[in-house]
Amino acid sequence: MTNERRTLIVIMGALLSVILQIVLAPAITVFSTQPNFMLAYVLTVSIVCPHQADPVLPFVLGLLYDLMGTGPVGAMALLFTLASFGASRVFIVVENDTLFMSLAILAGMLFGVEMCYGLILMLMQLPVSLADVFLYRALPCALYDCVVGLIIMVIMMHVLTGSKQDREMHISQL
Amino acid sequence: MALNFQQTGSVFVRRVLLIVFIIASVAMMFVYAREGEDGALHKAQAAFSGVTAPLEYAGAVVSSATENAADSVENITANDETLNGLREYNAELVEQYAQFEEYAKENERLRQLLELKDTYSLEGVGARVIGRSSQAWSQTITLDKGEADGVDTGLTVMGSFGVVGQVISTTPHTSVVRLLTDPQSGAAAMVQSTRAEGIVRGSLEGLLYLEGLPIDAEINPGDIVLTSGLGGSYAKGLLIGTIVTIDERSGHATRRAVVSTNSEAQALEEVLVVFSADSKALPDEDTGDDDTTSTEEPS
Repeated sequence: MTNERRTLIVIMGALLSVILQIVLAPAITVFSTQPNFMLAYVLTVSIVCPHQADPVLPFVLGLLYDLMGTGPVGAMALLFTLASFGASRVFIVVENDTLFMSLAILAGMLFGVEMCYGLILMLMQLPVSLADVFLYRALPCALYDCVVGLIIMVIMMHVLTGSKQDREMHISQL
Repeated sequence: MALNFQQTGSVFVRRVLLIVFIIASVAMMFVYAREGEDGALHKAQAAFSGVTAPLEYAGAVVSSATENAADSVENITANDETLNGLREYNAELVEQYAQFEEYAKENERLRQLLELKDTYSLEGVGARVIGRSSQAWSQTITLDKGEADGVDTGLTVMGSFGVVGQVISTTPHTSVVRLLTDPQSGAAAMVQSTRAEGIVRGSLEGLLYLEGLPIDAEINPGDIVLTSGLGGSYAKGLLIGTIVTIDERSGHATRRAVVSTNSEAQALEEVLVVFSADSKALPDEDTGDDDTTSTEEPS
């Protein structure tokens, strides 16, 4: 697959994730918990293509996510960028190409982002406790995101890599 | 078959971009936290909500379809007894058109809004809910009325049974309302019977709390909670809900009560944006005080 074609697919997927976030996410709310399609997509792309993961896609999608909501602008842009970078580096270092490991990294990063976003909101005077953030948002949202991420990952692995990925370790990128 | 990915950009450029984006993100967060509601980033957020409003409207249609699908699944998985009941119920309704039913429900909601408007002598504009929050961390709805219809930030929004939230941003033809159930919301409130004052706040678990009540305040389940008008953010004397339970917390200097909510986001379809209110309709239970208190919303 050429780089141009891969880039086009990634951009189309990003647009689709934005549309799903606006149109579908409010419709599938479960106990005030919604999936974060954009976050799941960004992390999935970082894990499926760890050597091509640059910070433009996560930053732009994170910024769009911030602009769509009422939270602090820049928070999700920062977390998307850091999580995307972290996910791709961890995947390269772990050097384990099983689906389980991919999902484990994805789940860890999803939970980390949701939890950190809650902490940022708390720092910005959101009057809630850390336990509430963990129990009522970070954990359920991360689980919901994982389900969405699993679906996206299967699709992206098939579309971008033909179900297999380059697992060689690239020390120069660490 | 392992694919040999080519690098799309140098590692150095990526690292520079990463650092630039991190600095930019942190800078935006600081600016957002320090600027007021009229700041550039807040305005950008409001403008973006206007851009995404048509998509949100599509989302509302999807929500309706999802609910119908859920009902269908419930019917399919129902037991014989339930199915028989549903068939009987269906037979009763077979001569009615679904469209008429929809109109009837809409008529009922609008009638309740009108009653509420008459009760409180409200000046305002009715609006349809065309979108709901696409993020788990906030509880907002998008309305089809904006600056062109006189809607401005800070105005109180009422549903069929009372206050549901406050306008936080507007575009020429849409506006975003933060619901009372949002953890970032806060409305000065009082218990109608005892005039005990506190703050009604949303929470992440979806409950509405009346906080900051004096420790000796006499409150009971069923007491009516109204906006007190303090701070000027909400019009005075509007119904918020009733106290459901009292949350006794040892070691706290104040008491807290759970209040029934009027703002279940999925259920809201039409609302009233309040320009001004004349709150004389709900007299004090104890004193019979029915003083008329007219409150103009801050512009």
